[in-house]
Amino acid sequence: MSSFPTVMPPTRPEVTTGDSPDRPGWARLATSPDHKVISLILISAAFGSVFLAALELLLVRLQLVVPENVFLSAVTFDRLLSVYGATAIFLFILPLCIGLLYYVTPLQIGSRGTALPRLGQTGLWLFILGGFLLYASFLFTPPEAGINPLPPLSQHIFTPNNGVDVWIASTSLVTLGILLLVIDLLVTVRNMRAPGMAWRRAPIFVWTATIVCWQIVIIAPIFLAALTMLMVDRQLDGGFFTGGVGGAPLLWQHLSYIFFTGAYMAVAVTMLGAISEIVQTFTRRQLPGRRAIIGSLAAIALIGTLAWTQNMMTAPIPGGVKYYAMLLSISLIVPFGLIFYNLISAVASSDFHMRAPLRFAMGALSLGSVGLAAEVSQSTVALGSQLQQTYDAWAATHFALIGFGLFGGFAAVSYWYPKMTGRMLDEDRARISFWVMFAGTLIALVPLFGAGVEGQVTDSFRFFADENVSLFNLIATFGTLILFVGIVLAVGNLVRSHSEGATSTPDPWRGSSLEWLALSPPEPHNFDVLPDVRSVQPMQDIRESLVRREAEQEAPAGEHQPVA
Amino acid sequence: MLSRSGKILPLALTIASAATAMAAFASPASAFSLNPDAASPGIEKINTFHWIIFVVTVIAIVIVNLAILRAAKPRHRHVQSESTGGGRQMRVGFGLGVVALALFVTATVFSSQAREVPVGSSEVAGLNADDQLEIRVTGQQWLWRYDYPNTAFSYHRLVVPVDTTVALNLVSADVIHGWNVPALTGKAQAVPGKTNSLYFRADREGVFTGQASVLSGQGYDTMQSEVAVVSLAKYEAFVQRLRAAIQEAQDSVVATQQKELREAAEETPTGEVEPQP
Repeated sequence: MSSFPTVMPPTRPEVTTGDSPDRPGWARLATSPDHKVISLILISAAFGSVFLAALELLLVRLQLVVPENVFLSAVTFDRLLSVYGATAIFLFILPLCIGLLYYVTPLQIGSRGTALPRLGQTGLWLFILGGFLLYASFLFTPPEAGINPLPPLSQHIFTPNNGVDVWIASTSLVTLGILLLVIDLLVTVRNMRAPGMAWRRAPIFVWTATIVCWQIVIIAPIFLAALTMLMVDRQLDGGFFTGGVGGAPLLWQHLSYIFFTGAYMAVAVTMLGAISEIVQTFTRRQLPGRRAIIGSLAAIALIGTLAWTQNMMTAPIPGGVKYYAMLLSISLIVPFGLIFYNLISAVASSDFHMRAPLRFAMGALSLGSVGLAAEVSQSTVALGSQLQQTYDAWAATHFALIGFGLFGGFAAVSYWYPKMTGRMLDEDRARISFWVMFAGTLIALVPLFGAGVEGQVTDSFRFFADENVSLFNLIATFGTLILFVGIVLAVGNLVRSHSEGATSTPDPWRGSSLEWLALSPPEPHNFDVLPDVRSVQPMQDIRESLVRREAEQEAPAGEHQPVA
Repeated sequence: MLSRSGKILPLALTIASAATAMAAFASPASAFSLNPDAASPGIEKINTFHWIIFVVTVIAIVIVNLAILRAAKPRHRHVQSESTGGGRQMRVGFGLGVVALALFVTATVFSSQAREVPVGSSEVAGLNADDQLEIRVTGQQWLWRYDYPNTAFSYHRLVVPVDTTVALNLVSADVIHGWNVPALTGKAQAVPGKTNSLYFRADREGVFTGQASVLSGQGYDTMQSEVAVVSLAKYEAFVQRLRAAIQEAQDSVVATQQKELREAAEETPTGEVEPQP
């Protein structure tokens, strides 16, 4: 252990920003344009939503525990499924990714805040409004047209109640909010990097933020346009997606799958970026494949989004488009493979201590590999025509999104937990929750591959005994219960460690990027002194210069000068 | 602490794989075969392709996860930093690229073969110039309507002759429906305002069903796609019977209407030209 100071010096009063301390806490939270406060609200909301999503998934699975179950009616099942999809995508995974990027990136580039803080604040409030709106629908009619409400089913004549309107309003508010947050972050990363932080010196997660933000800036307006068209169809008798005369139901599939596929890739890219940071820190040296990883992340974002028609292998689109999507999907093996290779070999050839972030990161890679392999095999034209819309496809998507979204999310949050809260995450509870979640995911999803190959379709509220899928469904429901318990344990650990965890130093993992220079939790203005960046690992330079200065001065420990 | 986690992972993996294997082998048709009752050459090719992809995928997953397990194995040693320069990455990238390319070529070849249209072998009435039997399939909430050549139609069950190329033209009358008969054709969406085409040639007789595969409303779970493959003679008899029944129904409607018109015409004058006393 070097002589890095365990307590940072107090901040200088002349650069302190923020509002007066006599306002109540909730008012300060609600009105703060600080990127750290906004991100913490986003991340907390995401972990509240993952509990709701897991609960809804559990209810859906309980209905499918035995053939011809009468636990839920068809309408209730469709509503739970629709709300589950909206919660998992729009209230859990996307806000978690954006929250992490929005918290960490300004710190990593050594900035004192974001460029357009009020824009970010507006984004947060649009997100909160969208989330409340979705759950307020339980007071009247929840959406019931499926995870992706395909017109004409989602049009007014076939679904006359308000459910789909709520879905449109809620998802468009959340998407617009995320878009505003992302624009803020993009401008920040572009304009507010610390002196000396050229792009070639930017940490992997800053590159990740740039890639994901550009991707969302492109896909979110497309989805907002589609939502507007659907709203016009439903409320103003528009006819964009009406079959036959003047409209095209297929148009919605294209527009919505551009967004959903892009969001899927954004989740994978964000979490792989976070896992790269974790692996770099825990293996205690610069990642050897840094450039390969950054290039691969960009390639995944681009190629993955362009391959949106891989979701439409059964739709009436030209055969060439399907083969094009298959080519793009298969070529994704290369960037994903490069990232997996670089991360795994970095861990294998190092001396590390297995802590919660690295454990969750390895779990994410393990589960993600299963999901990605299955997704690629289904993107072939022949298998897509057989396996799409079955539980095989469901299991593949869930393996990838639970792997990257949930495990990657817990990895990233437990890695930056000391920075966000000033406390250490309880290691024992984290380990137990990891293994419960890991076993739950395997037991919940592996049997569904079998059910999908047998031909069980998703979205149907019951199945029949002669379909040969009863045992698969029974095991999957049991596994979902274990997964639910694991999620409750993991989220509970985040909550409990917030008040009970050991106090953290500013740099508990000895990281190499600038967020570890700030206090834990950081002051509103992040840094007293803007560091001068000279390499890819500025924090390493700061530690070395401290050691050097100490050697020169031969000062006794505990009387350090302010850092940098 | 470290040794305990080393024990739990194999345990979890064993439970999951044992449960899955149990479920897979407990079901009568082995779950590892995509379509054990494949009844068309195209689906048999897809089955073969599925086997190849399945094996390749499982090998890839096992290699990656063994590497993760080995990398993350708890240990207390000091590892010399290996030389992981650009050359090695290039080699790995190159290798992966080759693998991806090989996969792509395989996929293309097999997929295109699976979608190849086999030549029809019969001269049944209704076959067009390309020796195909063209049938229009209309999805509606929550059943299928089949229009055979020359005005015959039926609901619920499609009847086709064996060893004949059948072209299904799928359309929808209301919302999107998912046509799905795994043993014969695979899935295809019936979208309003657009025609989706499927080709198949059944090589044995039997009844093949599948569950509709796109959420279409509240009766979705009861919507079945059902195809009965029969001999050519039976198919012709079936279509003749349909035509006769339709003709009879139309005749009876026409007769009823004419009768009503006649009666109306007879009643009206008698009512009006009532002789005055």
